[in-house]
Amino acid sequence: MNVHDKSLSKSTAKLLSGNSACAQGAVAAGCKFFAGYPITPSSEIAEKLVTSLPQAGGVFIQMEDEISAMAAVIGASMGGVKAMTATSGPGFSLKQENIGYAAGAEIPCVIVNVMRGGPSTGMPTRPSQADIMQTRFGSHGDYPMIVLAPSSVREIYEETIRAFDLAEICRTPVIVLYDQVIAQSSETVALAPPSGVRAERKWASGPRADYKPYAAGIDGIPAMPRPGDGYRTHTTGLTHGENGFPTQNPEAVERAMSRLYSKLDLHRELIESWEAIRCEDADVVIVAIGISARAAKRAVEICRAKGVHVGLFRPITLWPFPEAALQQACKGARAVLVPELNIGQLRLEVERLLGRHRVEGLHQYSGEPITPAQIAARATTLASEA
Amino acid sequence: MFTDAANFDVRDYLRKEMMPHFLCPGCGHGIALRALLWALHDLAIDKDKLAVVSGIGCAGRLSAYIDANTFHTTHGRPLAYATGLALARPDLHVVVISGDGDCLAIGGNHLIHACRRNLKITCLMLNNEIYGMTGGQVSPTTSESRLTTTTPLGNNEPNFDACALATAAGAGFVGREVTRHVPKLKELIKAGLEHPGFAFVEVLSDCTEVFGRKNDLGSSPEMIMRQKSEIRPSAYRNTVETPFHSTSLPTGILTQNDRPEYGAAHRRAAAAVVAKGAK
Amino acid sequence: MPHSRIELRFGGTGGQGLILSGKMLADALASEGKHVAQSQTYEPTSRGGFCNADLVVANGEVDYPLPIAFDYLVLLDKLAVKPSWPRIKPDALVIADTRLCPELPDGSTPRHHLPLSRTALELGNERVTNIVALGALIALSGICKRQSIERVVRTGSPRAFLDLNLDALAAGYALATPVAAAAS
Repeated sequence: MNVHDKSLSKSTAKLLSGNSACAQGAVAAGCKFFAGYPITPSSEIAEKLVTSLPQAGGVFIQMEDEISAMAAVIGASMGGVKAMTATSGPGFSLKQENIGYAAGAEIPCVIVNVMRGGPSTGMPTRPSQADIMQTRFGSHGDYPMIVLAPSSVREIYEETIRAFDLAEICRTPVIVLYDQVIAQSSETVALAPPSGVRAERKWASGPRADYKPYAAGIDGIPAMPRPGDGYRTHTTGLTHGENGFPTQNPEAVERAMSRLYSKLDLHRELIESWEAIRCEDADVVIVAIGISARAAKRAVEICRAKGVHVGLFRPITLWPFPEAALQQACKGARAVLVPELNIGQLRLEVERLLGRHRVEGLHQYSGEPITPAQIAARATTLASEA
Repeated sequence: MFTDAANFDVRDYLRKEMMPHFLCPGCGHGIALRALLWALHDLAIDKDKLAVVSGIGCAGRLSAYIDANTFHTTHGRPLAYATGLALARPDLHVVVISGDGDCLAIGGNHLIHACRRNLKITCLMLNNEIYGMTGGQVSPTTSESRLTTTTPLGNNEPNFDACALATAAGAGFVGREVTRHVPKLKELIKAGLEHPGFAFVEVLSDCTEVFGRKNDLGSSPEMIMRQKSEIRPSAYRNTVETPFHSTSLPTGILTQNDRPEYGAAHRRAAAAVVAKGAK
Repeated sequence: MPHSRIELRFGGTGGQGLILSGKMLADALASEGKHVAQSQTYEPTSRGGFCNADLVVANGEVDYPLPIAFDYLVLLDKLAVKPSWPRIKPDALVIADTRLCPELPDGSTPRHHLPLSRTALELGNERVTNIVALGALIALSGICKRQSIERVVRTGSPRAFLDLNLDALAAGYALATPVAAAAS
């Protein structure tokens, strides 16, 4: 869906930080378990949930490290509750093995990664967008992944809620990815109560004898056994057959892996989200996420005011990338500009999808965000050259 | 027949479809598994309400054989998974099965914090002094001078006393038993399962095929007999207030106290947060 | 440009309460229906070092939430001059603390040296310098109504600081009002 500009109700607007909005979104989504470990610049999420989660009937725990926080979240979700963790840079790296476990064993959960400068300890209080590839490919082996990349305080709230819904519907970990600027800046927002009913997990039902924990119908999503309901199944990180037990039978492995991979394709329409601004007549389309997309939004205005035809394509679902929507948005463009706070990650995906277009990156990794003026200048040059 | 006097039939607790099991001939882990199942039987713990969480390695594979809600997790992390599970589902009986490498090396941090926290989990650490599944590398409990594939001239690192570690970290229940004494092992596990907080049970188990062969310790019966006599002379020093001599290994319940259980305390604290918010 | 856009900065050092001033002003502006984005940069340490709280104020949704060029700059430490001065508009209004930020670069930018921290000390606690500065800024800029900021200070102050904060706000107004009258 294209979520082009929703309007705000001013009367209920409140000043809120991105991390606070994330915590509020988790509670609104029905999160009942949070495990975390202190790390800048995402700790405020935990500091909010320590109070608001118990008030909503949930459990908060600060674990001994990043790895155990991820593990505890998966353990809680195995127990049947909606669960989330939040982290940044180094912590996200430490969680990767268990994120892969959640993907492979198909345990729904939400992981928030507030990007900061890297590699290693990097710049804890400075923004970066250098985890774009790690969110998709950070754990070992082949696995599907949903990554949502909000770019405003309001959108962090909305996408956190959507992350829980998608995690439950698709039985998969979902990552909410945003940068330090959006996380720790505050904006006046009117948070809309979530529309519709929140997604609930598909639980195993019916006779135990017929039940196979990893057998799926046409939607590709197996019903999950809830401990205590009498199914007494086995969950493992080893490659497993439909019965849940480890297997290395080539046909069974291939069947299991194919279903795991294709299940997101079956729900692509639900998963994909993007915003396309003034792309119809654009000579240059900017593709950006997070704070860089906010700068690009202003850059579009700056360029348009000078008669330069520039548009913005903003993937809100970063992975799986909204491929067809990008190709559609860039149909008439003569050049594509990818501003990002890294040495070139989003640009790689855009280049892959737009083989024939001229794709240029505007990469900044100084710890300072890219400004609207920088993007407008480059887009203007590109428009004149193209 | 496997039937015991108390009507315990191990087959009632095993997943028959998983047989034959993958353990080596003479492995002590099967004895430990049987003792666990017997203890569960004695306590009449409902299999539907039983969650067994295991890590990686030979011990980690045991969960798959138990007819319960079983979770075979990642290397070293079963206690962390179990912490989330037990907090989210206080109605479940959560048992962790781990090995010496899983619990003391890669997962050592989780062990000490689980001991400190005192959430109601029963943790069985099957100690066979070796990384068996990966082919016989040195572990944190390998005795000094023992041969492994990564200590070809003999282990020259000191080893952990897991029970002393667990006690020092605050575990409310700590015990050790050998696989030679099956009824005693069963009784120890039972006491651990009945303990209201975190319970750490170390089972001294034999790895005959890898550790035994590498160190010329003879066949399985011979290794079992060693448990009685000169077991691991340098492995266990004066532990947990029990003077240690090579012929008197401290076994049985080594620590038992009634520190407040974390889950209940956590729920009380959460209720206080809610009450404060409601004011 | 789709919306009018006003940008301002409280600049100083960590621990001066600049972010609190920024948040209070943002809340006051939000209560008047303005859209505000409030941001800060900080060092990994909790105290000391250059610190700032920036506000972008617009009538509609703020597209880019970070400041581009300041209309107003409040300086509570000389450390804040260097990183902030290159980003002020030519006609920006600058308020600087007489004691903590005595020297400003040459130029035609309107500037006012006010004894903000001394006033706070006279009130009994230097820690309310941020609130004195808040009062002075609003008095000089007219960016929001006095009752809006008073309401926020009243509801957003810790109990122990409530009276002191209200006094500090009034003192800031008192410092700036004659200056504002002279300027107009």
